[in-house]
Amino acid sequence: MSVWAWLKLTVCLWLLRKMVKVMGWLLLAAAAVAAWPVTLVGLTGYAAAWLRGWPPARLGRAAAACLLPVTAVWLAAEAARHPAWPAIALAPVRDWARGWHHLTVIGATRTFLLVAPAAIPAGLGLAALAWAWRIYALTTGIGGWTASAPITFDVRQWKRQVRTAKGRTAAPGSVPLLARGERIPVGGTIRTIGHRWHPVFTISPAACARHMVIVGATGSGKTNLMMRLWAGWFTAALAAARAGRGPRPLLVVLDCKGGRDARTKADRTRRLLYGAGARRVAIWPDEARLALWDLPPNDLAILLYQMIDSGTGAAAYYADIMQAVLTLATMAPGGPPLNAAAFLDRLDVRWLQRAWGDGLHPKELERVRGAARHLPDIQLRFATLLGRLGPALDGPGTLADADAWYFILEGTREPSVAEAQAMALTELAARAATGTAAEPRAMLLAADDYSAVSRRVPLSNLYERGRSLGIGVQVSAQTWQGLGRDEDERYRIAATADGGIWVMGTPHPEPLAALAGQRRVLQTAHEFVGATWGDRGTTHQARAWNADPDLIRRLAVGQACYIHRGAATFVQVARPQPAPLSLLPARAPVDLPAPRREAAPAAEPLPANLDDVLGPGGARWP
Amino acid sequence: MAVNPFDALGLPARPDLTDEQVRAAWRAIAAATHPDRPGGGDVARYTAATAAYAALRTPWGRSEAFADLGMAVDDTSPLEVVPGSAADGAGPEPAVRPSRPAGRFRSARPRDLIAAVGQLPARIRHGRPRRLLIRAAAASLLSLAVLHLIPGQPAAPALITGLVTWFLLTGRSDLAPLAPPPR
Repeated sequence: MSVWAWLKLTVCLWLLRKMVKVMGWLLLAAAAVAAWPVTLVGLTGYAAAWLRGWPPARLGRAAAACLLPVTAVWLAAEAARHPAWPAIALAPVRDWARGWHHLTVIGATRTFLLVAPAAIPAGLGLAALAWAWRIYALTTGIGGWTASAPITFDVRQWKRQVRTAKGRTAAPGSVPLLARGERIPVGGTIRTIGHRWHPVFTISPAACARHMVIVGATGSGKTNLMMRLWAGWFTAALAAARAGRGPRPLLVVLDCKGGRDARTKADRTRRLLYGAGARRVAIWPDEARLALWDLPPNDLAILLYQMIDSGTGAAAYYADIMQAVLTLATMAPGGPPLNAAAFLDRLDVRWLQRAWGDGLHPKELERVRGAARHLPDIQLRFATLLGRLGPALDGPGTLADADAWYFILEGTREPSVAEAQAMALTELAARAATGTAAEPRAMLLAADDYSAVSRRVPLSNLYERGRSLGIGVQVSAQTWQGLGRDEDERYRIAATADGGIWVMGTPHPEPLAALAGQRRVLQTAHEFVGATWGDRGTTHQARAWNADPDLIRRLAVGQACYIHRGAATFVQVARPQPAPLSLLPARAPVDLPAPRREAAPAAEPLPANLDDVLGPGGARWP
Repeated sequence: MAVNPFDALGLPARPDLTDEQVRAAWRAIAAATHPDRPGGGDVARYTAATAAYAALRTPWGRSEAFADLGMAVDDTSPLEVVPGSAADGAGPEPAVRPSRPAGRFRSARPRDLIAAVGQLPARIRHGRPRRLLIRAAAASLLSLAVLHLIPGQPAAPALITGLVTWFLLTGRSDLAPLAPPPR
């Protein structure tokens, strides 16, 4: 074959290929013009999806939603007019064909309106398909004019999705505290990967009642998210209680950083919970107290022992003595102490000897004698500790007295005190969850910035404790490192968060993002001819993050990524606000606990006869 | 019968009063009724107001007193902002509605529906009434256009039904959320 012949063949083949392509486009254009009402709706839908960052499912659902109120009514009206089904089916074709005879604006509008009941769902359905194809083509790299098209497309769509989600979040009725089906709305959905897309992202209250982790740096909007979840859970649990489907809710919040911000947050939370139907919201230690001494004697002895730093090595010897003394003091026959002063009174040899010296407890009396010389030291240590803890744990009051408790622990200013308080409060919460005498309550224990007080009780302990007691635990930290002491503990906490993980703007989201897993994607490599793409290329399968760490790192204030069951959803969190029409709660009979006073230890027994003291015929009473 | 401390200070019975509002109410009554005033003041009223102030001076105290209230109070007026207080400028929290008489809650659906309809004007007022109006106007105008351009055609009722459905579905987001049912 000559060069000329080869050249001719090549050009002919190229022309043939191009002609087939052009013919295809021309046929498509002709069909689009012919079915212009459908094209018009399709183009409008496609443009709306592109401009607002909707997923194709949004258009598909809109098409389906049109079928019932528009198409069904139209079919019914047509059926009333033409009883024969062929006539009904051909009605839009007839109207469309008639429209070509009146090519004016009014005529075209009339034609469009006549065929709209069929054209709108069809157009929206086609737009959904076209938009899905466009996304597929760009994300796999087979579409777009330039090599950077997938990147610019993604960035642009993200911005539009955020704008749309913000708009939805700003609407007053879009994100209430509780949505239909008693689900908790969180905010406008920005993007979903693996989860089903809904305009407003909601989670089930059951997720809150399990274990949830929230990680976000200061100023990332973590407080708003947590408050929304608290209020949503409370509203849902209260609604369930009203319907007789569960116990009344009890929300326990540990704000472990303290300071002025904590007071502001507490006040906001209180207002929000009032709007959600709460009757009493207690803020500890500023306005309410709890009685540590309500704990069972055994638990009380262990807790008091744990609240004091006991050391190791030689100090362990004294720790054992201290534990024995605490057991003797709290389990004395007269019952446990009722307040701190009574407890300190018991750390005295004479008191303990009197209490245990009834002749029935010789072993205990022996222990009292053995520990006698250490008792002043132990008393001093506990006097110091209880003095630092202040009166807020000295009662009166129980967790059952309020619908929600907001505990402010000064974890930044006084870490050791806050740690001891955290231990006591979690113990009281555990007691409230398991106590058989009190009314059972559905409980959510939320610990905000728990890392500030987690030195003595690791977060994993709190977590596992909550799991064993059947209460929901929600923990927040500013960073991945704040979740635990080592990687093992952090993974244990994050991987067992069956209620989901919320990641907000944080500098190191990789370990959390990894828990969302990866998905299979297609990547296309193109051959470059000069500065433009050639006709040849290859596509191969690759894996991509479900929750892209770079995207998480760039999240703006108020944006969060919810990771659950190997999928991720990006959400624009709505600022929680109580319904402005909230009804005030009705009254309930209240029995305020009276301050308790412990009976003085039994005094020295009076002599039976005053003559024994004063001698025969001694002084007489006046 | 126990005295309502909110009444004693002339305040609406609401748990979301601020410290400044309570203090201002007490100071006003104390200044007018103090026993040192010429004429001896009004000792009984002064004593009642002081006791009420002691009960309501903290948010927890207000919460307690509020929960102890025996009767519903039909005061839904916005709270008066105390000049110079923290609430001044930020404005009071949205007004809350009066409670209903105490009673056992029953999940009666028709009653909820009636309550929801009853709340509609307030929901519109507290929501985005202007946007709602624009939506309503758009739906009405398009419906009129449909009736004008294709009168008597089967597509007309279908399109009007579609427009009404669109208005109902999208207009919900412009309404304030429903209040939770009373406890």
